[in-house]
Amino acid sequence: MVRYIIRRLLLLPLVILGVTFLLFFLTQRLSPEMRASLYVKDPRQMGALEEVIRQYGLRDNVFKQYGRWLGQVVRGDLGYSPSANMPVAKAIKEYLPATVQLALVTMILVVLFGVWFGVFSAVHKDKWPDTIARFVSVGGFSLPIFVLGLLLLMLFYGKLGWFAPGGYSFQTDLIVHGPSFKMYTGFLLIDALLNGNMRVFMDVLSHLVLPAVTLCIGSFALMVRVMRSSMLEELGKDYVRTARAKGLAEWQVVYKHAGKNAIIPVITLASIQFIRLLGGTVIVETIFDYPGIGRFGVMAAQQLDIAGILGFSLMVAVLFVVGNLVSDILYTAVDPRIRLD
Amino acid sequence: MVVSPVLQVCDLQVSFMMQKRAYPVLRELSYNLLPGRILAVVGESGSGKTVHALSLLGLLPPAAHVSRGKILYRDTDLLTMPRARLRDVRGSKISMIFQDPSASLNPVLTVGEQLIETLRAHKPMSKQQAREEAVRLLEKVGIADAPARLSAYPFEFSGGMCQRVMIAMALALSPDILIADEPTTALDVTIQAQILHLIRELQQKEKMAVIFITHNLALASEIADEVLVLYGGLCMEQAPAKDLFEDPHHPYTKGLLASLVSMDRRVERLPAIAGQPPMAGEITKGCPFASRCPQAQEKCRQQLPPLTQQGIRMVRCFEEKTL
Ligand SMILES: Nc1ncnc2c1ncn2[C@@H]1O[C@H](COP(=O)(O)OP(=O)(O)OP(=O)(O)O)[C@@H](O)[C@H]1O
Ligand SMILES: [Mg+2]
Repeated sequence: MVRYIIRRLLLLPLVILGVTFLLFFLTQRLSPEMRASLYVKDPRQMGALEEVIRQYGLRDNVFKQYGRWLGQVVRGDLGYSPSANMPVAKAIKEYLPATVQLALVTMILVVLFGVWFGVFSAVHKDKWPDTIARFVSVGGFSLPIFVLGLLLLMLFYGKLGWFAPGGYSFQTDLIVHGPSFKMYTGFLLIDALLNGNMRVFMDVLSHLVLPAVTLCIGSFALMVRVMRSSMLEELGKDYVRTARAKGLAEWQVVYKHAGKNAIIPVITLASIQFIRLLGGTVIVETIFDYPGIGRFGVMAAQQLDIAGILGFSLMVAVLFVVGNLVSDILYTAVDPRIRLD
Repeated sequence: MVVSPVLQVCDLQVSFMMQKRAYPVLRELSYNLLPGRILAVVGESGSGKTVHALSLLGLLPPAAHVSRGKILYRDTDLLTMPRARLRDVRGSKISMIFQDPSASLNPVLTVGEQLIETLRAHKPMSKQQAREEAVRLLEKVGIADAPARLSAYPFEFSGGMCQRVMIAMALALSPDILIADEPTTALDVTIQAQILHLIRELQQKEKMAVIFITHNLALASEIADEVLVLYGGLCMEQAPAKDLFEDPHHPYTKGLLASLVSMDRRVERLPAIAGQPPMAGEITKGCPFASRCPQAQEKCRQQLPPLTQQGIRMVRCFEEKTL
């Protein structure tokens, strides 16, 4: 097990090299002038462009430039992001926790309700609860995220005024950045609890609701489908008949026996979706003006902020490898037949 | 002294729903099972053996249902019993082991957990007590190093070992009846003998009744007191094992025995019974065996012969055996 983890972590640098080099290579399609322009704020100082190009060696060959970037990364310096107006590393530290928070709340909702709905639907196969669950899952599947997001925003913000866009309210912003509020983890939900400040906690949570629900829908529909078919398959197996023949109560047969087997494929699905959420909440973060890492990535891409783009992809690559590793480890916890080595 | 049966099956009929029509796959099945006796149910594949076994404990698949009859366990009808009461009977008064032992155990729960939950489903006992009892049960079915084996998973066991675990689980609450549905079919020959030996030994020790389902007539007459021959969902002949084996009356039983003999002599590719058993849901007006029967007459194809008493046996055939 430990050897497996080490082996997988050794793979990490390879993945990162591959991804970042590819991106680096693509950014070279832009002329050095375009790449330098972002660093020159004042149009009257266009003469400084050549200065920047020379200073950063933007005319050197790809490998030399890539090597230079890599050397910095190894020393922990991801460069400066003009689009975020701060160093890339700082931007990631600032924006990632909000996205992780959003993704976690989303996944908890998806797994809890998805699994429960799936089981419910399988147990009542072809009866009305199953019909409803299938209807919901088809509906959720075919509803585009931006349509749903805008609808929710219109209804709950525009009409009812229950939830507002953004990451937190203005008051919370003042409290959080004030002197008495301590940032322990960077995750506002947790930090609010640690500071014992329920107002901040509720405020942050209420700003999470709409984006989390919007993100849920597609994943939820998929989760219900996978859980339902997995559960149906398990319920038809011999060991379920044994469990019934032993005189176990029906809830034990369903949840303990079939359920524990049926959840196995759901674990992979959930971890893939979680990782995807971390790098891919772009649309939702944009719709709800949510201050997460996805919005940072979009901004960097729009403004041709190359340091930002590279830093963002580096982060996504690391998350992918680590996330897959965690999912593999989770697997062994549920399925004793799988041994990692 | 009159011993009352532990189980009485009366005129049992089981049907499958296919395209909104009910097809009976088991008909007119009646027998009495006496305490401490072994009844073998013999028949070819598809004759309804498993369907019969599952119907006894209300474990039929959703597409199937009992469409007629009674199943009396100590004078209470299992078919009309409330579900909660039926659960108390399952696994504690009547238990069952299956054909494929490796698939019959839950792959993600330890063997110990599966034994312990069975015990605790029927008897109030602490986890610790149940553990000790589970160890005792594993030792009883001949599993070495039982305490350590409790935390093993089924995939770490061979098929024979899994069947031993299944037997331990089935006997955990000293049931009155054990239903064994082809318990050795999936195992190789030497293991088969061990498992059979174990079942018989425990049956005698615990004085329980056994319904032993098999397609092997030789095996049936070796292990059982009484044999019931099923064909196309109907009982063809029922007799004490010795009588049936030495002097079969029904042409189908004769055919089965002849095929055993030919197998012994290693005469291959010489089926003693020509033709195929009936397909699922294929209900003929007359005797289902008529199309393969060497003695079949026109009458056999027109109407179903009744099951009649011939001495100490029951036979379903118009042709009375004349001595
Ligand atoms: N799920 C099902 N749907 C429809 N018909 C079924 C189903 N299960 C069994 N049957 C039919 O019921 C009849 C009896 O099947 P059963 O499984 O009891 O046979 P068996 O004697 O146990 O055979 P085997 O030796 O193969 O186990 C067969 O004709 C079979 O086709
Ligand atoms: Mg069978």
